[in-house]
Amino acid sequence: MAKTIENNIRRLRFEHKEMTQQELAEQIGVTRQTVNAIELGKYSPSLEVAFQIAEVFGVPLDKVFQYNLPKRSRT
Amino acid sequence: MSFREKSAWISLFCLVIFTALWLTHALRIEFFGAENDNPMLWFFGTLAALIALEIGLHVTIAIQSPREAKTPKDERERLIDMKASRVAFYVLMIGAFVSIGTLHVPGANRYTMAQCLMGSILFALLIRFATQIALHRRDA
Repeated sequence: MAKTIENNIRRLRFEHKEMTQQELAEQIGVTRQTVNAIELGKYSPSLEVAFQIAEVFGVPLDKVFQYNLPKRSRT
Repeated sequence: MSFREKSAWISLFCLVIFTALWLTHALRIEFFGAENDNPMLWFFGTLAALIALEIGLHVTIAIQSPREAKTPKDERERLIDMKASRVAFYVLMIGAFVSIGTLHVPGANRYTMAQCLMGSILFALLIRFATQIALHRRDA
């Protein structure tokens, strides 16, 4: 099944002086494991955490997360 | 491995030991009788020892990673807890109904029902911690 929510956290971390997952986690108040799970697309964060991540990187939310509508199969 | 996962492993480990001891004790009483034995003293004594062991192990991992130990659970960890508790709840409910069902088994008595209920509680807790570990590992 294709991922519907994708993110650019890895790239944004790299662009922000190679910020570590731990540093990002501390800034948004979650664990490093949660940041890793979000980054890998295994966990979709709450809106609050999503906005906090965008705030840390100083970009709008849609620059961090993208929602890809799943293609509907035609019958 | 995160602090929460280590904590779940410790709880599972202690619970496995307690369940094994309890099961051995319960089966011994069931098949060989309980002469000169005080089941309540045994139960609470073993429980206290296991709680002390669990606290000791938790203190050890908290010393190893104090920052993680002080950090409150985040939303993903709370979600994992809730999912694990939900699975354990169904196990407990099935165990409770099976325990009630033992009243209709010939030869069974209140003691049998109490043991069955105790087994259900322990099994539900085992499932809870095992599910927590599985969810932590899957999302790692």
